[in-house]
Amino acid sequence: MAVTGASWLAASAPAPVYPAVGADGLAAVEALSLHPAVSLQASPRHASLLLVCGRIREADRPALRRLHDQLPHPRATLWWRTEPVPGFPAASCVGDDRADAVRAVWRRLATGALGSEADLLPDEPPAPWRGKGDHGQGGEGMTGGKPYGRPMAMTDEDCRDGLALDAYTARLGPFLPILPPGLRLELTIQGDAIQSARVPSPPYPQAGSDDPLRCIARLLPLLGLAGLAERFRRAAQGRAPDLGAPDLGALGRALRRSGALYAIPPGLGGFAGEDLRARLRRWWAQAEGADLRAPPGEGCLADLLPGLEWSEAMLVANSFEPEILMRLCRAGPGDGDGS
Amino acid sequence: MSAAAGLALLFGVMAVGAWLAAALDRAALALAAGRRPAAAMLVAPWRQGAIHLLRQRIRTERPDAMNGLLAPACYLLLAAAGMSVVPFAPGLVVADLDAGIVLWGACEALTVVVVFLHGWSANAPLPLIGGYRYVAIGLPAMLLSMFVLIAAALPAQSLSVSAIVESQASVWNAVRQPPGLVLFLMLGLSLTLRGPFDYADAADLAGGTSAEASGPAQAAWQVARLAMLVSVSAMTAAVFLGGYHGPWLPGPAWMLLKMIVVLAVLAAATHMFARLPPARMLTLLWTLLLPLSFLVLALVGAEVLLWS
Repeated sequence: MAVTGASWLAASAPAPVYPAVGADGLAAVEALSLHPAVSLQASPRHASLLLVCGRIREADRPALRRLHDQLPHPRATLWWRTEPVPGFPAASCVGDDRADAVRAVWRRLATGALGSEADLLPDEPPAPWRGKGDHGQGGEGMTGGKPYGRPMAMTDEDCRDGLALDAYTARLGPFLPILPPGLRLELTIQGDAIQSARVPSPPYPQAGSDDPLRCIARLLPLLGLAGLAERFRRAAQGRAPDLGAPDLGALGRALRRSGALYAIPPGLGGFAGEDLRARLRRWWAQAEGADLRAPPGEGCLADLLPGLEWSEAMLVANSFEPEILMRLCRAGPGDGDGS
Repeated sequence: MSAAAGLALLFGVMAVGAWLAAALDRAALALAAGRRPAAAMLVAPWRQGAIHLLRQRIRTERPDAMNGLLAPACYLLLAAAGMSVVPFAPGLVVADLDAGIVLWGACEALTVVVVFLHGWSANAPLPLIGGYRYVAIGLPAMLLSMFVLIAAALPAQSLSVSAIVESQASVWNAVRQPPGLVLFLMLGLSLTLRGPFDYADAADLAGGTSAEASGPAQAAWQVARLAMLVSVSAMTAAVFLGGYHGPWLPGPAWMLLKMIVVLAVLAAATHMFARLPPARMLTLLWTLLLPLSFLVLALVGAEVLLWS
């Protein structure tokens, strides 16, 4: 009885969705996030539905399978604007009535009418044990090495203040929502300072996602302003020809009052003579109708991140129009195996 | 008052307060997003709770399982212990300690440990970064609160929360030392991992210390956070807003009303203001807010010396 009541309550909540965004899927997911029946989650552990939106690269399929298994039961996968990847369970596809379709699947899942999807991969480490070192992990003493294929922390020179801490290499992406979709970053961090960065694969192309209001909306959640970000996304929707013009005056006041510009350190993320604050100001001017363009420049995302602290690095990675970010991830020393 | 009645009062206020705080938080988010708050927001916390309870609890690879269980439990206990020294009416207090403020200070300091353990226990990078980032910010934030609370205790010439409330019968501490109230509210945001002071469970870490928590474990952590929020609102109401003092209504009603106002202010602040990157916040804390708290303390000390 209690379980039935809880199921009923859960089914009436917005569907907790983790978006795995592929090529040209970003604008659609951002539009979906405005629907009250859907609640996008930042961690797969907090979601019940995996929504794959847009075509996924062949090289990212293993990551998608791992991501699928990270969702807690009960879980289901939805495919939107893409064909299901082979190997996934019998799939639900989402058509044009996307929010309603998502809600319908969530209701069936929460009430038990739809069974939870089983794991796709065996529950074991990604690589076998490497029997080297004092403890068989392949490093020195008790640290370092790559036990089970994952790099372990080891004391290293510090690039910032001389305080030598354990350097730890973390691989992020391609489906981590705090990074642009498709972007893989390999960061070596000491504490929360980025020591070195590599870009194993660039983000997906996102046609029609360069709207300045959308660019601002992608930056704001990282500053703790999820509500304001939603307002910016809605305003960006409102710029579509069939809808009324958004009230930019009120939006600008809310942005200034939030202190977002002050929160961003001056000089952070400088690229082509324009730091992050200047980019935010330019986006706002563009939204108000100014005829501005991003300044031309060549560079590499991997060179912009070392020395930054974690949240600054995340701000920088999210501070470029998708097209410019793709250029920043294509060339330079940070370009890795391209897989 | 008997121990059983005291505990019933404490956990009763905390449970209802946590539900109200969760609803207010949703309303504040809706307002920040330019939507109109709906009555359904009162049910939303229960819906979210149901989702958590039906969901599988994920076990990460080689977690520190004991500390993973202890972290939310201790967080909740710290919230309860902190609130136990707050009087709801003259004599209506669970633990009328002579040094109640010191107990509250201990609860604040241990919150840093509990949040770190929560980040530590998952054995995953994002929660761990959230954990030690919180420790870095927690140290100056808790230091600041010591100055602020001592300044609030000075006019009462006592460390007992009941005495501090009594000392505000004519004029509230919020009027006597307004910067103290603002600083204490900032500390409240930090203690409950919210908005501009959320360095542990922040969005730039995909949920930080909670990023790997799912199902009942996630529910327990969220409930503990909300309980701490209620505790902070009770302490703010008692120490700065005159506690149970007020005309016409009975003391406890005033106390609850003031708590609701503080909850609403904290919910609004959560969604209104941007979070500074930690390095920038550390500079702000050490160079501006800490000296400000010390100045408040010095001014109140001078006032007490000269005029009382």
